[in-house]
Amino acid sequence: MAVKVAEEWLNICGGCEVTILDIGEPLLDLLPALEFVHMPVLMDHKYFGQTGEGTELQIPEADVGIVSGGVRNEKEKHVLEEMRKKCKTLISLGSCACFGGIPAMANMWTLQELYDKVYRGSKTTEAADTPSENLPPLLDRVYALDEIVKVDAYIPGCPTAPELVVEALTGLLQGKPFELPERSVCDDCPVKREKKAAGGQIKRSLESMQFAQEQPWENTRCFMEQGYLCLGPVTRTGCARSLEGPEGSAVKVPRCVVGYMPCRGCFGPIRKGANPLVDMMGAISSIGLDAKQVIDRRALLNRYIGGQNRLRPLPQKPAR
Amino acid sequence: MGDNGFEPIVIAFCCNWCSYAGADLAGTSRLQYPPNVRIIRVMCSGMVHPNLVIDALTKGADGVLMCGCHPGDCHYIDGNLKAEKRAEAIRLLLEDFGLEPERFRLEWVSASEGPKFAQVMRDMVQQVKSVGPSPYRT
Repeated sequence: MAVKVAEEWLNICGGCEVTILDIGEPLLDLLPALEFVHMPVLMDHKYFGQTGEGTELQIPEADVGIVSGGVRNEKEKHVLEEMRKKCKTLISLGSCACFGGIPAMANMWTLQELYDKVYRGSKTTEAADTPSENLPPLLDRVYALDEIVKVDAYIPGCPTAPELVVEALTGLLQGKPFELPERSVCDDCPVKREKKAAGGQIKRSLESMQFAQEQPWENTRCFMEQGYLCLGPVTRTGCARSLEGPEGSAVKVPRCVVGYMPCRGCFGPIRKGANPLVDMMGAISSIGLDAKQVIDRRALLNRYIGGQNRLRPLPQKPAR
Repeated sequence: MGDNGFEPIVIAFCCNWCSYAGADLAGTSRLQYPPNVRIIRVMCSGMVHPNLVIDALTKGADGVLMCGCHPGDCHYIDGNLKAEKRAEAIRLLLEDFGLEPERFRLEWVSASEGPKFAQVMRDMVQQVKSVGPSPYRT
């Protein structure tokens, strides 16, 4: 009998759903074993009955629930809680669901400050009241799924990788838990490291990087040592893709590094409770780069992981 | 707790070879310094990563002191220079966490500087008292 799958999207751009479609041919092997019973992005299914006659939110029972996106408002919280009730296993898909994602950068300010900025403080819009009619009220901040309900498996990434979705789903079908190793991206990165920065300024990621195309990866110098801000040391691995190496061998290379870009940190902290902002600042100063040159540190080093209290409004200094 | 009766908790990371011995000398010489300081012995000031300092300050401490050998005296040759580099990053991080710069200090204390150790502890406790409790303290 096919496994029933329910999918829901909350505060998200939809990129992770595209990843599911991007699975390609392996999806054909998976599909006979899966039966999608609820998936707003692909199928028409109303929460309150086809004509809105229902009074309670309806999500069909399912064996596996996949939820992407963080939780920003009351409606999303309600949907998530209903998903948890109806699904035996709940998977959080993508960095927004796992850590809050890009929208959670808003957690640096209070809700009132955000409203003031968007509806009244912006020079290009007319000042207006905060809209509230027919809209679910926003929560005080952006939450990751596991701050609201229990989550059984995490598939991070922004967007996440098709291979990981396949791995997680086939694992679940066989009753195997899915977990990424507690190692950093650097552990899976084949570039040459000399443990010391080449010196100079911290560069922007599109600025003249040195790399040896079509040559073994050992001929390319570590991006961070070249002076680019690469979040590899503080980011969990799992994104690495197998590429063809010399003489038919295979090399694993992190996904951004394949495109000669430094890691942006979308797979989140290496283990629960780690703080990439602090660890990264330590790493930068340890290899001899000037930590002062990192612009907008708080946001940049917490880019995908602002939920779970990692980004919050700075404490107000008490009046003395 | 009012500011008047405020007794801060100050964590002092002292390196095994100089500053901890300096603390020992301050003790055996019966020098007085406030009991607010909790000393943690580390092998070298160069092993005090920013996360130790930030964790301390966001989980209950009001001030952190990092003590190491004078430059050039490090038992591991350049551990204290690493500590100095890290201290720069730590000062930036204090800003990111909304903490006052007075809550963190890096000091060089050698094994023979018992009086200096006691003086630094007195100064630091006084300094932290004047900025008040850490905003992360509940």
